[in-house]
Amino acid sequence: MDNEMTLSFLAVSENESLARMAVTSFVAQLDPTIDELSEFKTIVSEAVSNAIIHGYDEDGKGLVTVHAVREGDVISVAVKDEGNGIPDLKKAMEPLYTSKAEMERSGMGFTIMESFSDNLQVESEPGVGTVVTFSKKFHTVKMPQIS
Amino acid sequence: MNYEINMHLDTIAVIRLYGELDHHATEQIRDQISRTILQGSLKTIIWNLEKLNFMDSSGVGLILGRMRELRAVNGQTIILNPSNTMKKIFQFSGLSAYMMEKKEEEAIMHARGIVNG
Repeated sequence: MDNEMTLSFLAVSENESLARMAVTSFVAQLDPTIDELSEFKTIVSEAVSNAIIHGYDEDGKGLVTVHAVREGDVISVAVKDEGNGIPDLKKAMEPLYTSKAEMERSGMGFTIMESFSDNLQVESEPGVGTVVTFSKKFHTVKMPQIS
Repeated sequence: MNYEINMHLDTIAVIRLYGELDHHATEQIRDQISRTILQGSLKTIIWNLEKLNFMDSSGVGLILGRMRELRAVNGQTIILNPSNTMKKIFQFSGLSAYMMEKKEEEAIMHARGIVNG
């Protein structure tokens, strides 16, 4: 392991940008392209928003934890909550399915996370919580060697 | 998060979004955008994303929600200047048909039914 970070924050929506900012700084050392970085930020934003909205119903009390590890040019992230859990994971992962249509949630979160990451896994248990883990390889542009 | 709405002829609203559009930001701006565009005789919403640095699926929810409100008047939606990542998000969500490779003025002309040349 080359680097590691853990960030915990309360389930309030203001903290969605905090999580994105922290992971952006964490991957900066890999010199990501603009597109790689924005895809990575999107995955984190979706997972953290899910934890705040669905895990904790934005109660402002529960803790969301973002744990990131860098190994070479691969970043692995776990976004964890100890909230409601997802009763029907298969259904939750269907494109356009949302349990909060009245909030104008699009139901695209998991589809986006799966498409932008290399490897996404979701573990959830009602009443215990949810962990979303994913990894993404960054194709760093190496400066040419000048001889 | 910041935004700007400009009305053209009472029927076209151009919404320019600035900064980062996430769940928190959409909750802050949705009602006001909704209220503004429901005034007058709106037919078209043009979303100009040129100055938007970030958007997740909340942006899709915001746009889909306004499309629903426009449905009653058979209105149209145009999305301009999405980043590569936003383009992909719109594609996954079935919104690619609403993206247009045009400048804002051209999109306004298009919405008014004026074809150039």
